[in-house]
Amino acid sequence: MQWKWKKLLVRLDLLSVQLNKPDLWDDPVHAGNISREHGSLMAKMKKVKALEQELLENIDMIKLAREEDDIELESEMLKALLQMRRNSNEKEQEALLSGDHDSCPCYIEVQAGAGGTESMDWAKMIMQMYKSWAQRHGYRVTVVDEMPGEIAGIKRATIKVDGEYAFGYAKAEVGVHRLVRISPFDSGKRRHTSFAAVAVTPILGDGFTHVQINESDLRIERFRAGGAGGQHVNTTESAVRIVHIPTGITATCQNERSQHMNKDSAMAVLQSRLDQCEMARQAQINAQHTQSLTDIGWGNQIRSYVLHPYRMVKDLRTNYEVTNPDSVLEGEIDGFILSYLSTLLDKGEDCP
Amino acid sequence: MKLGLSRACLYSSCCASISSSSMPSLTAIKPKIPIFLRQPTYSVTSSDLQKWHGWAKNLVSSVGSSFVESDNGPDSTLLCRELNWLLEDSLENRSSSSCFSFPACKYDTVDEIENVMLRISLDDLYQLWKQRIEDRRPFQYIVGCEHWRDLVLSVQEGVLIPRPETELIVDLVSDAVSNNEELGQGLWADLGTGSGAVAIGISKILRIYGRVIATDLSPDAVSVAMFNVQRYGLQHVIEVRRGSWFEPLKDVEGQLVGIVSNPPYIPSDNISGLQAEVGRHEPRLALDGGASGMDYLLHLCNGAAAMLKPGGFFAFETNGEKQCKFLVDYMQNQIAGSFCNLNIVSDFAGIQRFVTGFRQ
Repeated sequence: MQWKWKKLLVRLDLLSVQLNKPDLWDDPVHAGNISREHGSLMAKMKKVKALEQELLENIDMIKLAREEDDIELESEMLKALLQMRRNSNEKEQEALLSGDHDSCPCYIEVQAGAGGTESMDWAKMIMQMYKSWAQRHGYRVTVVDEMPGEIAGIKRATIKVDGEYAFGYAKAEVGVHRLVRISPFDSGKRRHTSFAAVAVTPILGDGFTHVQINESDLRIERFRAGGAGGQHVNTTESAVRIVHIPTGITATCQNERSQHMNKDSAMAVLQSRLDQCEMARQAQINAQHTQSLTDIGWGNQIRSYVLHPYRMVKDLRTNYEVTNPDSVLEGEIDGFILSYLSTLLDKGEDCP
Repeated sequence: MKLGLSRACLYSSCCASISSSSMPSLTAIKPKIPIFLRQPTYSVTSSDLQKWHGWAKNLVSSVGSSFVESDNGPDSTLLCRELNWLLEDSLENRSSSSCFSFPACKYDTVDEIENVMLRISLDDLYQLWKQRIEDRRPFQYIVGCEHWRDLVLSVQEGVLIPRPETELIVDLVSDAVSNNEELGQGLWADLGTGSGAVAIGISKILRIYGRVIATDLSPDAVSVAMFNVQRYGLQHVIEVRRGSWFEPLKDVEGQLVGIVSNPPYIPSDNISGLQAEVGRHEPRLALDGGASGMDYLLHLCNGAAAMLKPGGFFAFETNGEKQCKFLVDYMQNQIAGSFCNLNIVSDFAGIQRFVTGFRQ
C-alpha cells in the first residue's frame, strides 16, 4: 500500500493547484466536488501525519528512557507503541470492511458441482470449513437447509452466519472452489478434480430498504409431498420451498422442526436473495460497482485445493498460497480472506 | 398440573402412577412431561453417549428405504434427523448435540472422560430408539412433543399428533380476523381439539376479548390440551371442556363467532392400510370418520348452522378434494341458506384440504 500513499500525494497536489485557480467557482458543482475531495484527502493526510509524529515521538522517548535508565518510562512508551499497533490494525480492518453491508450477518450457500459423490463430499468439506471458520470467529451458525447426497456429502446446503462483519469477510469466498485429490470413493484410486460453488448473501438489517414481497407472488410448496397427507401421514418432514413467481427465485428450508418455522426461515432466505438481486440491479444502474456485480453471482473459479500429488491451497485471484491444506479445511482461511479484501481495496481506489 | 410437576415425574416415564393426593387434580389422567422439559439429572460420559449414538445410527442404516417401500414411512435420512432431535431434547445443553451429530466433528474433539447431563437415562435412550425403529412408535410420542407452528406442544399416546397441514387453519383464521374486527373479539370453538394445537394457535391471534372453548371426547386429549394451555399461560383465554362435539357447548348456542375443527375424516376401510406410525399408535377415535369419512364433518356442518352467530366464520379440515367438494355441495344444496362465501383452500402439497365459509 506504500505506492498508494505516493499517488495520494500527487492527487493532493493536483487538487491544491485546481483549488487555487481564480475561476474555480465559475462551475460551482465542479468546485464543490474538488473542495470536498481535497478536504477528505487533507483529513486522511493529517491523520497519517499525526500517527507518524506520534510514532517518532514514542521512539525518541524510548531512546531517551534507555539513555537515562528510566525503566518505568521505557515500559510506558512500549505500551503506547503496542496500543498504536492495535489502533493501526483496527484502522486497516475498518478500511477493508467499509462496504455498505459488510457489517451484516449472512447466508453461506455451498453447492456441489458435477461429478457425483466425490464432488458432494467436497461440498461437505467446504461447508465444514466455513462452519469451523465461523465458530472460530465466535459467529453463531445455524443450518438452514441441507440436501444430503445419496452416498456421502451434500448436494447443497445453506448456513446462516450471525455476528459482526460476517458478510464483510465471507463475501471474499464467493466463487468456485476446486479440489484435486485421490478420491476415497474411487476403488481404482485415481486422481479426481471436483468443484463446489459458494454463494454469500447479506442479511440486511432494519436500516436498509427491503424489497417488498407480495403474498400473491409466492407459491409455497411442500417438499417430498405425496399420498393423501393430513391425518393419513405422520412425518417429521416439513420442508418448505417458496417460489417467487415474478423472478423465479426460490428458497427452501428443511431443518426446522415445524412447517411454519421452515416457512419463516425460507422466507428470510428469499428476502435476502431478492434484496441482493435488487442491489445488483441498482449497482448495474450506477455502473460503478461492476466489480462487486461479478462477485455476487456464483462467479468463477477462485481457489484451488490440491491434496495430491503435492499439497497446496492457492487463491487464483491474489496468488496467496499455503502448503498445509488440512489447516485451511479446518477453517483457517483468514489469510485468504484478508489478502483478497486488500486487493479489492487497492482496485477500488484505482477508480477515479 | 404446573411445570413444577416435571420434577416429580423424573423417575417415572408415566405420571399416571403418581398419587394425586399431593396436589389437587383437575382431570383423571396426568399428562406425561416431554423430555425437553425434564430436569437434567442423569450424568453420562461422552463416550457412552457416543456409543449409544453409533448404535442408534446403525439401527437407522439397517432400515434403509424399507419403511418407505412398505407403507411410505420414514427413510433413513429422516430417521437420522429425528435421532439428532432426540439428542437435542435429551441433552442439558442443546447446542452440544451438534458435536455428536455432525460426523465431521471428530471423536477427539469431545473429551472422552467429560460427563454430560441428560434429561433421561441412557437405558431409556436405548429403549426409546428401539421402539422408534422396531415398533415404529411415532417420534413425537418418543420425545413427548411436536413442534407445530411456533409452538412446542406436549403429545402422548391417546392424542393425535398435530399435522403440518393443520397449521394453515390458524392462518385462515388470521385472515378472517384481520378482515373483520368483531371476529377477533368474540367466542370461538375448536372441536376435537386433541393436543389443543389449533385452539392455542388461534388464541394468539384473537384480540383482548377473544375467547376459545376447546372440546374433546377423549380424557387423554383433555388433560394434554389443558397441560399445553397452561404451559403457554392461556388458561384465561382457552377453556377446555370434555364432551362430544357440540354437547359441551349448549350454554353458548348461537353465540359463537367462529368454529374450527380437524375432525376424524379417514374412511373406515382405509384405517387398516395406514402407515405404521399412524395405524398402530395414534388413536383411532381421532382418525376414523366412518364409512365415507364424512360422518363428523357433516355433523359439524349441521351443528355450526345452529351454533354460529350471523357472520360467524368456520374452517374445517378434510381428507381432500372429494370431501371438500361434497361438503360445499351439501352446504349449498342440502342446508341452503345457512352459509355463504364458501371456499376450498389447498394445503402446501396442493391438496384441497380445507373448507371455509360464513354463517349467513
